[in-house]
Amino acid sequence: MAEPAISSFDVLVIGGGAAGVAAAAELASAGLSVALAEQRPTLGGAYHRQPVGGSARQLRGQRQWLRLLRGLAGAGVEQRLGHVFIGLESDGIAMLDDRAARRIRSIKARALVIAVGAIERVLPRPGWQLDGVMTSGGLQMLLKETGGVPPGDLLIAGSGPLNVAVAADLIRLGRPPVAVIENGNPFARPGAALRLAAHPGLVAEAARHLARLASARVPWLRGSALAAIERRDGRLRATVRMPGGGSRMFAADIVALHDGIRPNAFGLPAETQAQPIVVRAGDCREALGIRAAVADGRHAARQVAAMLAGTVRDGSADRKIGRQRRAQAILHELFRPVDGYGLAALPDDTILCRCEGRTVGDLRLMLAETDAPGLREIKLNGRFGMGLCQGRFCADAVRDMVAAARPAVDGGASGPLSRDRWPLRPASIAALAADDELQEGK
Amino acid sequence: MTTGSFAWRGATIPFHPGESVASALMRAGVLQLGQDGAGCRLRYFCGIGACQSCLVSVGGTIVEACLTPAGDDLNIKAVEDEDG
Ligand SMILES: Cc1cc2nc3c(=O)[nH]c(=O)nc-3n(C[C@H](O)[C@H](O)[C@H](O)COP(=O)(O)OP(=O)(O)OC[C@H]3O[C@@H](n4cnc5c(N)ncnc54)[C@H](O)[C@@H]3O)c2cc1C
Ligand code: FES
Repeated sequence: MAEPAISSFDVLVIGGGAAGVAAAAELASAGLSVALAEQRPTLGGAYHRQPVGGSARQLRGQRQWLRLLRGLAGAGVEQRLGHVFIGLESDGIAMLDDRAARRIRSIKARALVIAVGAIERVLPRPGWQLDGVMTSGGLQMLLKETGGVPPGDLLIAGSGPLNVAVAADLIRLGRPPVAVIENGNPFARPGAALRLAAHPGLVAEAARHLARLASARVPWLRGSALAAIERRDGRLRATVRMPGGGSRMFAADIVALHDGIRPNAFGLPAETQAQPIVVRAGDCREALGIRAAVADGRHAARQVAAMLAGTVRDGSADRKIGRQRRAQAILHELFRPVDGYGLAALPDDTILCRCEGRTVGDLRLMLAETDAPGLREIKLNGRFGMGLCQGRFCADAVRDMVAAARPAVDGGASGPLSRDRWPLRPASIAALAADDELQEGK
Repeated sequence: MTTGSFAWRGATIPFHPGESVASALMRAGVLQLGQDGAGCRLRYFCGIGACQSCLVSVGGTIVEACLTPAGDDLNIKAVEDEDG
C-alpha cells in the first residue's frame, strides 16, 4: 500500500485527553489542518477513559466528553490512534510509533500542541517496588476500563483527594478497601477548608465520597503514614505509622499508592514560537485537573492559531484556569502531610529508582562524598533518572533529597533528572528497527 | 459481552473486546510480569504508559501491557522468556 513517507499538517496535537481533544477541535474549526495522535487505541485520557465492550456504566463527566467528541467529529480532525509520540527530529519532523503497524510514522507540522497529561506523584517507601503495589490512578484505570476489580483485599495509601475518590469507586463496585491511609489531615486545616467553600463543586464531590466511605465503614486514617510494605505468605503486609506514635499492620493483596499529581513533562521538546511552534496544554503544562483541561486546551489552540497567522494574542489565560489554580492550591494545603514527606527517615535499602534498582542509600553515599557530585554526576554516575521511565517516578524524590543535603545545588523547577531529548519512549526503539524497512521501501 | 482469550506464560487469559493486556491480566490475578534485562521485577503500576514497568513481549516486540489491546489467540510472553 503506497503511503507518503511524511504527512504534512498545519498542527499536530499530541495526546487525546480532554485538553488535546478540545485543542484539536478548536484548531480545525479555525480552518487549520489538524492531526491528533493518541498512544492508546481510544481517546479519553486519564479522566475520560472509556469503558470497553460498550459497557453502559454511568461515567462521571460523560456529558462533557460527548460534547467534546462531537466538536472533534464536526471539525474534520485526522485521528491517529495507537500512535506514540517519541520525539521531534532535529529537522522539526515529529516521529510517531504506530503500534498496530509496527512502523514509525513521520509528520511534518507547522505547530505542535503537546497535551500528554499528568502523572501521579508516588513517594518512595520500603517495598513500593513489589508486585501488587500500583498507583491509585492505575487502579482507577482498571475500574474505568472494565468495572472489574483485581482479586483480593485492597489498601489505599498516600495523600490527596484521588485516594478518597478511588475508595468510593471501589465501594460502589462492592469491593470496599480495608482502609485509606492519609498523610495529611484536612480536618485539622480549618483555614483551607473555609477557602474551599468558594468551590462548591469540589466540596459536594468530597462530601459524596466521604459519605460513601462512612456508610461502608471504611476507615479514613488521617495523619497516618504507610511506613513499609513487605511480602509475607503470598500477601502484602503494610506497616502504618499512626498519629499517636504507635503502628498498625494491614494485610492486603493490592496496595494502591498516590501522593498527588504533577505534569508529565519529561523528555518533551521545549516550548518555542519558532516553527515548528511548540505549545503545551492541559495537565502536562500545569496540573490543574479536569476542570481546567478543556479551557487550557482551547487557550493553547487560540495561541497557536494566532502565532501561525502572524498575529499576537493576549497571553492572559482564561479566568477558569486561574480559578482552578486557586482550587488546587487549597487542596494542596488541605492534604499537606502532617509529618512532612518523610524522605529523611527512609531506610538505606529503600528503592528510589525502580528502573535501575538504585536505593536511597546509593544516593546518600554519593551525597556524602567529600568531592560531592553535581546533578549531572548523580544522573550519569548514579544512574538516577536514566532508566526506562526517564525519572518520572524518582526525579522529584531525588531532587528533594539533594536539596535537603546540599541546599546550594539548584535542581530547577523540572528537577535535575529530566531529559529533553528524544526518544520520549525507549520501548519504542524496538519499533525503530522496523523503520528501516520503511526507508528501504521508499 | 463476548470474550476472547490470549496465552500468557502457558495460562489462558480471557478478555473483553477492547480491553488492554494489563487489565485482563490484573483481573485474572496475574500481578507478576517477570523481570526485565536489568533484573527489576515487572508489574502493572501507573496504568497510563508512563512508568514502563509493565513491559511484555507481544509477537517479539516489547510493549507496555497497559497500552496494548488484547487480541484473540495472541501469545504474550514475559520479557525474560523472550530473551531465552
Ligand atoms: C492516573 C490518573 C488518574 C486521574 N484521575 C482523576 C480523577 O479521577 N479526577 C480528576 O479530576 N482528575 C484526575 N486526574 C487528573 C487528570 O490528569 C486530569 O483531570 C485530566 O485528565 C487532564 O486532561 P489532559 O487532557 O491534560 O490529560 P490526560 O487526560 O491525561 O490526557 C493525556 C493523553 O495523552 C496521551 N499520551 C501521553 N503520552 C503520549 C505520547 N507520548 N504519545 C501519544 N499520546 C500520549 C495519553 O494516553 C492520554 O490519553 C488523573 C490523572 C492521572 C494521571
Ligand atoms: S503500568 Fe506504567 S507503563 Fe504500563
